[in-house]
Amino acid sequence: MENLDYARLQMAFTLGFHIIFACIGMVMPFFMVVAHRKWLNTKKPVYLKLTKAWQKGVAIFFVTGAVSGTALSFELGMLWPEFMKHAGPVIGMPFSLEGAAFFVEAIALGFYLYGWNKLPETFHWITGIIVGISGVASGILVVSANAWMNSPAGFDVVNGEFINIDPVAAFLNDAWFTQALHMTLAAFAATGFAVAGIHAFQILRNNKPELHKEAFKIAIFFGAVAALLQPLSGDLSAKDVAERQPVKLAAMEAHYETQKSAPLYIGGIVDEENKEVNHKIEIPGALSFLAFGDFDAEVKGLNDFPEDVIPPVSVVHYAFQTMVGIGSLMMIAALIFFISLKKKSWLQNRKYWWLFAVLSPLGFVAVEAGWVVTEVGRQPWIVYNIMKTSEAVTPMPGLKYSFFLYVTVYIILAITVTWLMKRQIKVLNNSIG
Amino acid sequence: MLYVVLFFTFFSLFLYVLLGGADFGAGIVELFSSRNDRKLNRDTIYKVMGPVWEANHIWLIILIVILWIAFPVYFNIIIIYLHIPLTLVLLGITMRGVAFIFRHYDAIVGESQIWYNRMFRISSLITPIFLGMSFGALISGEIVITEDYSDVGFAEIFMAPWLNIFTFLTGLFYAALCAFLASTLLIGETTGDIRKIYSRKSAFYTIIVVVTGGLLLFYGFMNEMVFVQDFLANAYSLSAVSLSALLLIPLWKAIKEQHSLLTRFYAGLQILLVLFAAVHTHFPNLIITSTGEVNMMDETAPDSVIKVLGISLIIGGGIILPGLFHLMKSFNMIRIPSQSPKEESE
Repeated sequence: MENLDYARLQMAFTLGFHIIFACIGMVMPFFMVVAHRKWLNTKKPVYLKLTKAWQKGVAIFFVTGAVSGTALSFELGMLWPEFMKHAGPVIGMPFSLEGAAFFVEAIALGFYLYGWNKLPETFHWITGIIVGISGVASGILVVSANAWMNSPAGFDVVNGEFINIDPVAAFLNDAWFTQALHMTLAAFAATGFAVAGIHAFQILRNNKPELHKEAFKIAIFFGAVAALLQPLSGDLSAKDVAERQPVKLAAMEAHYETQKSAPLYIGGIVDEENKEVNHKIEIPGALSFLAFGDFDAEVKGLNDFPEDVIPPVSVVHYAFQTMVGIGSLMMIAALIFFISLKKKSWLQNRKYWWLFAVLSPLGFVAVEAGWVVTEVGRQPWIVYNIMKTSEAVTPMPGLKYSFFLYVTVYIILAITVTWLMKRQIKVLNNSIG
Repeated sequence: MLYVVLFFTFFSLFLYVLLGGADFGAGIVELFSSRNDRKLNRDTIYKVMGPVWEANHIWLIILIVILWIAFPVYFNIIIIYLHIPLTLVLLGITMRGVAFIFRHYDAIVGESQIWYNRMFRISSLITPIFLGMSFGALISGEIVITEDYSDVGFAEIFMAPWLNIFTFLTGLFYAALCAFLASTLLIGETTGDIRKIYSRKSAFYTIIVVVTGGLLLFYGFMNEMVFVQDFLANAYSLSAVSLSALLLIPLWKAIKEQHSLLTRFYAGLQILLVLFAAVHTHFPNLIITSTGEVNMMDETAPDSVIKVLGISLIIGGGIILPGLFHLMKSFNMIRIPSQSPKEESE
């Protein structure tokens, strides 16, 4: 493998790691403040216990997200200096605002974590809300910077230089809204299901069921609402990608031949050599409809694009299928949850809890798959149609070593954090009351 | 607007050196303490640093973001040629951050604490050393700028500029500054015998700072390094350093008297003076390479970008600074002078 491959792997790995921690750090504060509010309203000790337990989770994930984010802000420059040299000034605005939002979050978290019994109750609770809101704001801002890579705007290229820069136009590029919406919902769905699943598992094991049922309810509510909204946002995204990045759409669907009334493939094995998809289920006209809102619309196939701008089709296709498949599962589970609010008898059924326990990690698999679609689907471009990834990479040789260093460190970190969470739950279950 | 951006650049740098530095220093002080003092230190810094801990380090991110947006060419050189030490800095920051949070938030307090503590203390020392080495590399005149990397050799381009005696001394000097800042800050956060301990430590680290700083200048002078020679020839830099040396006298007195506010004030002022001296000597040529100097103000981002950045910084600053001030005040990091005599007497 070349330096470029290692640079890409390292970026993919560190981003993939950061995304999980950032999502949890961004969404969990909302669970925490809901539990906190319930404690303030009812004074039931179970809510206080839950708030404090989640607060520890928030602190751990916030810091892990923050350090991995710090690393990323360096890595962008260290791995892709040519990209940063040209693109840095253009997409600086969302990043500088993100810095501000992140700062607000850190300050609010300082107040929240250390403010128990020191600050007035309501003010203390509000600082918790600020943690959540500023976290979501930083997520949206970072995604908007990424959206610019898919939909470059706000500058002209003359002789390889980026001139006439308009940072506001770059920030408000065509893709920012659909991407930010999709990612924010994904964060809520994935974190909601992940946390709910962990508590569902505890209920199955009959550890402190009252406490875990309360926790489950709060977390799954956020997750379920997001999971039900997600298909709508996915539809917006698909139409957007179809228009702006037709080659990405074609790769997502492994759609080789240009045709009118294009079918949607479900499943299937991509044969990149013979340029076809085997063993798939076809829904006639559905792709045309999803992409352009018209069953007869023409969808451009991969064969009609030059060879050197086609991303790795099978990776993108499988990732896309994974994301959509899991998303659909989560949507069904969300419906089951809402029905169970009426049909209380379902809550006595172990299968109900098993369903959510099994779904627990899947949301994050979908999040990762979604990022693969976005990022691999854009290849070979780092800035779509403007700059190739190979032109952006650092001249520094030996990236292999830094890749393995990061992988080792981050894997150890991930294991440690998982182990710490297990200990948190254990202590929570063993606590009195 | 460029001046607004420049102001925030150096303001962030100053606050990172000061607050991030005190933070690193707390770990260094802990590392070089006796077993008994360590536990004490651990609890004290948790109380003092905990609430502002994360905020202290965001100044680094702000600084990086400003550099890459406003000074892309300058940032590009730093990030390419200092790839290795910066990777080590990142590793240190990561280790230190997670160790700090693990040791305070692990639900079970047991043997694993030994590992968290070790990781925290060691990375607290190593990170500022690598940060200092990176800064030293920028001014050491060893960086070889080249178009063709295969021509010059890996070691010469990516290792030699940051791995030498001068940069190592710079790293030590910065680590010493951090320890000095932390121990001085902690004087005001403690009472009774513990306060005496920090007063002693802070006197000790003051000496270390002076010794390492002197060594650094001496080594640079003997080896005819451009930066050091210019530093010694620059009237402003020299007076700033002399003033900070003069301030050692009242500082020393304040340390002996265990004065919480004055020690903090003098220490902060000294850092400001030292930083000013270091930056002023060569501003705006803040990188010295083997063949010449790189002007930070050359090839800045276009006006449209600087304008938006400047406005964002003013707005961001307007929101963040009062919030941060309020946070520090709420947890007694900053004492309002009129209240301090009362607290002193308690």
